[in-house]
Amino acid sequence: MSANNPSTPAAIEIRGLSYSYGRGEAVHELNLTVTPGRCYGLFGRNGAGKTTTMKCLLNLLRPSKGEVRVFGLDPAKQEVAVKKSLAYVPDSVAFYPWMTVRETLDYLASFRDRWNRSIEGDLLDRFRLDPKQKANALSKGQRTQLALISAICPEPPLLVLDEPTSGLDPIVRREFIQTVIGAYQDADPGKRTVFVSTHLISEFEGLIDEFTIIDNGRELLALDADAARSRYQRISARFASEPATLDLGVAHMVRRSGRDVEVVVNGNASDVMGRLRALAPETLTTESLTLEEIFVTTVQPGAAA
Amino acid sequence: MTDASMLFQINFKSGKPVYLQVVDQVKAAAASGAMHAGEALPSIRPLAEELRVNRNTIAKAYTELESQGVIETLPGKGCFVRPNNSPLKKDVRRKLLIEEIDQAIVQAHHLQVPAPEFLDLVRERLGVIDEKRRANDSKTKVEL
Repeated sequence: MSANNPSTPAAIEIRGLSYSYGRGEAVHELNLTVTPGRCYGLFGRNGAGKTTTMKCLLNLLRPSKGEVRVFGLDPAKQEVAVKKSLAYVPDSVAFYPWMTVRETLDYLASFRDRWNRSIEGDLLDRFRLDPKQKANALSKGQRTQLALISAICPEPPLLVLDEPTSGLDPIVRREFIQTVIGAYQDADPGKRTVFVSTHLISEFEGLIDEFTIIDNGRELLALDADAARSRYQRISARFASEPATLDLGVAHMVRRSGRDVEVVVNGNASDVMGRLRALAPETLTTESLTLEEIFVTTVQPGAAA
Repeated sequence: MTDASMLFQINFKSGKPVYLQVVDQVKAAAASGAMHAGEALPSIRPLAEELRVNRNTIAKAYTELESQGVIETLPGKGCFVRPNNSPLKKDVRRKLLIEEIDQAIVQAHHLQVPAPEFLDLVRERLGVIDEKRRANDSKTKVEL
């Protein structure tokens, strides 16, 4: 395997990755490249293969087929170097219950070459975590906050987050992922890479630079977030009377209800707009789908976005 | 948080890349006098948090604004609105504007807005923005 430029390898390079648990294939021929400095989303429903993919990056699982590289290194052969270059927050985190928040952070810091005390203090304040609190007295949300603080304090060039917001209070989780990623990327942003899996996509709308949607272990769509929003549009038209025939060319989804026509397009908005305009509608509007709507319409093409 | 961050609003449904929305809004704020020459732009991290976007997006917007000569970066101090003198030659500036005008004309045609009404609208909008600029100018003077 070769990166485009050997002097600056991709933060993550996945080529033809397959993984099977017994007879069932959890990941099938997945390809994916994460450029340093980007915030990359891996979107999929529960059981789509997100966690399996991440575990292959960490050498917690050995790929059945294909290759994974982290900054050009093979996690199976250079496990220590790979683990030094990243921090991983799994979907459920556990700490030693008898340690306090302070002791937990000191213990975790002892495994790392560096530890940014000012980020640590800043985030403990912002999350109102009490350093004297015992880990077993923390709520699930507080445990996740502690795990994220301990992931970014070593300032690794790669942050791997597996469903970091699931199970959290919907009001706080959005702000808090923003705070964590903002703090992580504040210094040296060109070298701060985030690889995050989630099925709660709306919280990551503005954070994601690029994403891959997987379902049943297979890639369905991989795009830059801005490009995705400009390709996927919902066009709504209302006619004076119910249109008899409607030839819209290629449309991702068409829904008709009396005088109203709603079309979801993937990349040919101007063509479909032109065809609708030719039928002289009373109103004609268009808006982009959000990443969450793009996810839904990609995973379930029949469903309304 | 500086006041300026309240000038910006991101709409993920507009179909326009998020960084370009920031670029256009800074340019609009500078044109209307809501931000004046020498004024500091919000720094990247608080603005990113405020707008709930990635800092890369804000950084990309600021880089674009700098290359267009709208703002300048003073190392260690931040980004500031520049006095309005585009580094581009006059014919280049005209050409860029013509592209935008043509798009508006095409749009007017499809929305069945006839030429005289279109021209009236242009005059009206010039007036509105001019009015805003004057209001902002007088505000600044009172503060001084």
